[in-house]
Amino acid sequence: MRPLMLHGHERAITQIRYNLEGDLLFSVAKDSKPTVWYSSNGERLGTFNGHNGAIWCIDVNRDTSRVLTGSADNSTRLWDCETGTTLSEFETGSAVRSCMFSYSSNLFVYTTDATMGSVCEIYLYDVRDLEAPVRVIPIEGSRISAAVWGPFDEFLITGHENGAICRYDVTRSGHCLQSVKEHKALISDLQPSSDQIMIVTASKDNTAKLMDSENLEVLKTYRTERPVNSAAISPTKDHVVLGGGQEAREVTTTTTKAGKFDARFYHLIYEEEIGRVKGHFGPINSLKFHPDGKSYSSGGEDGYVRVHTFDSSYFEFEF
Amino acid sequence: MPIPQTPASATPQGAGQSVSWADQMDDLEASVITADNLPEPRETVSGDTRTMVSYRVDEGGKIKKVTQVYKEVRQQVPKAIAKRRTWKKFGDAEQDNPKGPDQATTVIADDVYLTLTTNREQLEHHDDDPLKKLSTKSMVTCRICKGDHWTTKCPYKDTLGSVPEMEEVNSKPVTAAGVAAGGTGAVGPATGKYIPPSQRGDKKPGERGESFGSRMQQDDQATVRVTNLSEETQESDLRELFGYFGQIKRVFLAKDKITQQSKGFAFISYELKDYAQKAIDALDGYGYDHLILKVEWAKPSKVQH
Repeated sequence: MRPLMLHGHERAITQIRYNLEGDLLFSVAKDSKPTVWYSSNGERLGTFNGHNGAIWCIDVNRDTSRVLTGSADNSTRLWDCETGTTLSEFETGSAVRSCMFSYSSNLFVYTTDATMGSVCEIYLYDVRDLEAPVRVIPIEGSRISAAVWGPFDEFLITGHENGAICRYDVTRSGHCLQSVKEHKALISDLQPSSDQIMIVTASKDNTAKLMDSENLEVLKTYRTERPVNSAAISPTKDHVVLGGGQEAREVTTTTTKAGKFDARFYHLIYEEEIGRVKGHFGPINSLKFHPDGKSYSSGGEDGYVRVHTFDSSYFEFEF
Repeated sequence: MPIPQTPASATPQGAGQSVSWADQMDDLEASVITADNLPEPRETVSGDTRTMVSYRVDEGGKIKKVTQVYKEVRQQVPKAIAKRRTWKKFGDAEQDNPKGPDQATTVIADDVYLTLTTNREQLEHHDDDPLKKLSTKSMVTCRICKGDHWTTKCPYKDTLGSVPEMEEVNSKPVTAAGVAAGGTGAVGPATGKYIPPSQRGDKKPGERGESFGSRMQQDDQATVRVTNLSEETQESDLRELFGYFGQIKRVFLAKDKITQQSKGFAFISYELKDYAQKAIDALDGYGYDHLILKVEWAKPSKVQH
């Protein structure tokens, strides 16, 4: 397959995301311009100009009318997707690490870092009333490094710096419902399966785990030799793709080969590695499957987003 | 529900060709192309393919002709997607090519392969280690045993007693100690190489000093060579097996330096030659540890002339 290489960012990609139909691909990087692309041909549709710091997270709502970005310039912005104009800006005390719309897109949350004297907090907003947050939940202990909504928007699943994974009842009580510590190091990514009944975690402890999103029970474990920065579940096949590699700061001391910057495909059930895709010159920071399962994209520390459309052999493979 | 046709989306098929002589002749119809007289990009449409021909000057000052072939793909998509296709570009993308992907931001990368397999080894195999490639092409020859591997990886490099076959290969006589040092030791004085102290001075060729080597020579008289041993074999196993035939003076089992596993051969020196003969008669062809042992006289390691 010949991937499309999207080169709109000057610095490392931090997160990529498809919209519901998968025709648009959103990418954010450590430069200050979130970018949206047509996923079919790699055409750049636009950039959302306004932030002035690294951007850690992006999400798009269900009907692709609003885009939410969280930045290290201590703000979250809500954008109009068609024109790229800022609709609202929310000042925060520290960098915004993760943000996302709920499934219905009537609610959204963002989480802040515990730096510069401020504590890590979850902010819950209602899109229909942006005057004040519905709820602010301060987090004691380790900060949130990744978050994802649970099924039916009933709770928020958060991954923490110390490797803990928690369920927060954000909409009703704001309490922590459950906390498990299955990972030994920072949770770098959490992604739901297409039906939201499972989530896959990615951790710096070199593993990714498949969990039941209702009770955070570990179902499967995928092991690699390098920190995992992102993991995604295929919506159509029993595949999980893991991306990561050696820490960016250690890259200069070793060869490209030692870095293991390949995207690695694992069988969802048998936990065995079944394939690899090369391409990035640095660790992969974010991976997403296209909602139709026919392609996937990866964003790397090298600043490129690569859109891979699978060959027919991919669909013929049976384990 | 009716699903509208999208406006055509363009997919670039190829780019970046240098000016060929034939192309230049075609273009000469109009005028001679110079760096400050670059023609406007030209677009020709035939059926569903669109060909863009443009010229640019590269870093070396050469004029490059860029031919981009776009194929128009029509597909049925939901209304929402079709609507988003008509959106105007915004932000930094305003300056991009309004009709399709811009060369500056969208590049078709080189082919990458995803071969799904259940075979783990095949996955590892894809890692192209240049050193590995070298060794498979037998471009390297071991200085010790002439095998197609690096000298440092030679299975015989740490062996104290030399293996007879390799001595025949080595035309120059080398002491057992010389082999142990990687084949770089004691040779004739004319070569200017290192000579062990025992051989220096005015000794005649063939005459040896009082050294460790001479004692080994006596050992050779009643020594058997055992090959085809399994990896798990220990020295104590050999003592047990071979001790039955008589008093053993010395057992040497070749082991890997790092893993401490047997390399599959050993030398056993008996006090008397008779014992050795008995051992050969009894144990040659004997099944031991799922392998069939080969026991024979150790050929005396050749000595200095």
